[in-house]
Amino acid sequence: MDVYVLGLAVHPSADAIRDARLEEIAYRTCRAALDDAGVTRAQLDHVTLAACDELDGRAISSMLMAAPSGAYLKDELRVTDSGLSGLQMGALRIASGRFHLGLVASWNQSSIGPFEDIGRMRADPFHTRPIGMNFGIADGLFASAVAARYGFTDDAASERVALRARTAQRNPRAVRRAVPEAAAVRGSSFVANPLREAHRAPLTDGAAAFVLASPEWLAAHPDTTPRARITGAYWAIDRYQLGGERLAGLELVRRCYDEALRRAGVARDAVQVVELEAQNAYCDLAYTDALELGGATTVSPSGGAWAQNPYFCTGLVNVAEAVWQVAGQAGAVQVPGARCAVAHGSHGYAQQGHGFVVLEKMP
Amino acid sequence: MKRQGVAVIGTGQTPFRSRRDDKTYPELVQDAAVLAMNDARVVPDEIDAIVFSMAPTTFMGVNECDKWSVDALWAQGKPMLRVHTGGATGGSALQAAWAHVASGEYRTVLVAGADRITETPDAQHVLNLIWDRFYEHDFALNTVTMTALAAQRYMHKYGTTEEQFARVVVRARLHALNNPDAHLKGAIAVADVLASPRVAWPYKLYDICPRSAGAAALVLASEEHARDKRSRPAFITGIGGVSNSVFMGDRMGPYADTDFADQAELVQAARECYAQAGIRDAAREVQTVEIYDPFSSFQFPQLESLGFCARGAAQALSDEGAFEMDGALPVNPSGGTLCTNPIGVTGLVRAIEAARQVMGSAGAMQVPRVRNAVATAIGGSTQFFTVTMLSDEPRGSMQRG
Repeated sequence: MDVYVLGLAVHPSADAIRDARLEEIAYRTCRAALDDAGVTRAQLDHVTLAACDELDGRAISSMLMAAPSGAYLKDELRVTDSGLSGLQMGALRIASGRFHLGLVASWNQSSIGPFEDIGRMRADPFHTRPIGMNFGIADGLFASAVAARYGFTDDAASERVALRARTAQRNPRAVRRAVPEAAAVRGSSFVANPLREAHRAPLTDGAAAFVLASPEWLAAHPDTTPRARITGAYWAIDRYQLGGERLAGLELVRRCYDEALRRAGVARDAVQVVELEAQNAYCDLAYTDALELGGATTVSPSGGAWAQNPYFCTGLVNVAEAVWQVAGQAGAVQVPGARCAVAHGSHGYAQQGHGFVVLEKMP
Repeated sequence: MKRQGVAVIGTGQTPFRSRRDDKTYPELVQDAAVLAMNDARVVPDEIDAIVFSMAPTTFMGVNECDKWSVDALWAQGKPMLRVHTGGATGGSALQAAWAHVASGEYRTVLVAGADRITETPDAQHVLNLIWDRFYEHDFALNTVTMTALAAQRYMHKYGTTEEQFARVVVRARLHALNNPDAHLKGAIAVADVLASPRVAWPYKLYDICPRSAGAAALVLASEEHARDKRSRPAFITGIGGVSNSVFMGDRMGPYADTDFADQAELVQAARECYAQAGIRDAAREVQTVEIYDPFSSFQFPQLESLGFCARGAAQALSDEGAFEMDGALPVNPSGGTLCTNPIGVTGLVRAIEAARQVMGSAGAMQVPRVRNAVATAIGGSTQFFTVTMLSDEPRGSMQRG
C-alpha cells in the first residue's frame, strides 16, 4: 500500500466534552486536520466516516454528521466497526486510484450514552441476550480465558494498569488523572471475575481525523511534506460465539499483525513502536505476549487507552500516536529513532475484530 | 499491489416478503451469500474479504447483526467491515468492495447483507429517529412525509399530476410480475393507485414501497479472475457518490447548491461515474437502469438528473411508454424499490439487477443487448446518493492492464 498521511488532528481529550454537540466535536477535529495538512475542504475528492449509530444515539448517525465532517457535496461513505476501520477504508479508496485526497473522521462521545445497555443490544436475541451479555461480561470471559491459559494473575493485571496509567501521564495529549497504585487496582470491585473495574481503561470523549493522499497527488504537489506513509493495513473478524478457543487462542490478533507487516514488507524487528488498543489490562497482557512484543519494540508509549479512550475511535487515536512517532512529533513520549510504528484497533464483544496499520517515516 | 479492474461475477438474493420468520438473520444472509457464490462458482475459501451491507439495525433489534453473521458467512479470520449510509447502504457497500479489489489488495470480495424491516411494529417511528432530536423529532417527520414534501415541490415546478405518479406504480408492479423475488407485483390500474388510502399528499398507499424482509449478495473479482470465472461478467466501469446536508430547507431557494425536488446531487455523481466509464450520452449509451425509487415520485427527478432527459420531461416520456420494457429506456425491469424495499440491501439489489442485465442472466426481466446499465441508491434525508455503471467490457479510465 502506498498512501500518505498529509495531516491529522485529535480532539483535546476529556472524560466528558461538555461544551459541544457531537457535530461541533467532529467539525473542530476535521477543521484542525485540514489545517494541519495545509489543504482546503474544496480540494478533497472524498470523505470516509466511521461512526456507530447506537453509540451516537442516532438511527443514521452520518445524516447529521457528514456535513460538519467536511462531506458536504463530497463522495462520502461510512463504516460502522471502528475508527480504525474508517482509516483502513479510506486508505483502500486512495489505493484504488479513483481518489487522491480524502478526509477520514471518527468520534465517540462516550459520556452521553448508556454504554453497557448498548453493549447488551449487540447480543443475539436467542442465546447471549437472555444471559445479560454486555461489554463488561464479554471482557470478563476473555480475562478468565487468557488468565487460565497463560497464567495472567490479578497482580500482573493490576501492575499493567499502573504502568500504562503512569506512562499516559507523560503523554501531553492524555486526560490528566491521578495514577493508581497496583494495590488500589487490586482492591477495586469485580465487573466479571477476574476482571475488576479498575482493570478497564476509563472511557473518554474524543475524535480524530486524517487527511490522506495518493502518490499521484503528492507528485502534483511537490512542496507538500506528508507526516507519514501508510505501507500496510490488515484487519479480520473472529467467530461470534465466545467459546474458549475464540477467547484464549489469540490466533486472529497474531495473524492480523503478521499479515499487516507482510503487506507492508516490514520485518518484525524493524518495528520500533506498537500502539495497542487494550480495553483492559488482560487484553494488554494477552496481546503483548501473543505478538511477542517487547525488546526493541516499545509498546503503547502513549499510554494507550489509559491516555484517552473514546471507545469507538480509540484505534484511530492510536494511528495518530503512531504517525507522530514516525514523524518525530510525539513530544514527551517520543521513542528515539522511531521509523516504523504500528497502530492496532479492535472492536466487538471480547475484541471480535482486530486491525493493524503500518506507518513508516518519510524518507 | 497493482491496481486492477473489477467485475461482478456472481449474484444472489432471496425472495422478499413481509416477514421471513422461518430464518434467523444470519441464516437469511447465508442464503443469499450461498446463491451468489454458487453463481460465481467460488467456494467460501476463495473469498478474500467481506463487505457487509446493513443500514439501521433498529428495525430488527440486534445492534451488530453483521458480527452475529460472521460464522454464517464463513468470514472467520477474514477482513470484514460493515458499510451503512442509510438507504444508500447497498450502493456504498458495493463501491467499498470495489475499492478492496481495485486497489489490488484483494482478488475476490463478497458483499452481503439482509434486512427485516417488519421486526419492528412501526418502521416510520424508527425513521422519525433519524432526525435531530432537538429540532425535528417533534415534527411528524418520517421518510414518507419528508419525500412527500419533495414530491409537492416537484409537482409545483413541473406540473406533474398524481395520475402521472400513479402510472409509475402501475408500470413497476407490472414489471415485477417477471421477478420471482419481488415483494409486491400485479396488474393494477391507475385508478387502483388513486383509490388507495391517502397517507401524505400526494402519496397514497400504493405510491409507497413495502417493508421487506430478505437478503442479497454479490461477488466481485479482479478483471483477470472474472474472465476465468465467467464468460460475461459485469464490469464496474464507473462509480460516483455525493452526500448533501441533512437539512431539506438548505436544498431549495436561490442560494441552494442543489434542489431537493430534483435530486440534483445525482447530476454530480453521474458526471463522475460517466467520466470514468467513458459515457458521453447516457440516453444513447445506457440500455437500462435500476434506480432507487421507494416512492412513485423518485423516478422522474432521477432519470432527469442522470441525463436521460431534460428537466421536467420524464413525466411525458413516462406517459408515452418510454420507460416500459419495450420502450426507449426500460426503467427498473425488476419492479424496483416500489415493489421491494429491504432497506439495508436495497441498493445492493439494484446493482444485482443491473449486473444481471449486463451478464444476460435476468431471465424474464432481460432487456436485449445490454452493454451498460446504471444502478443508483439513495439514503438519509434523500441526501446520500450513489451511481454505479455496470458494463459488458472494461471502459474508460477503469481499463487497467
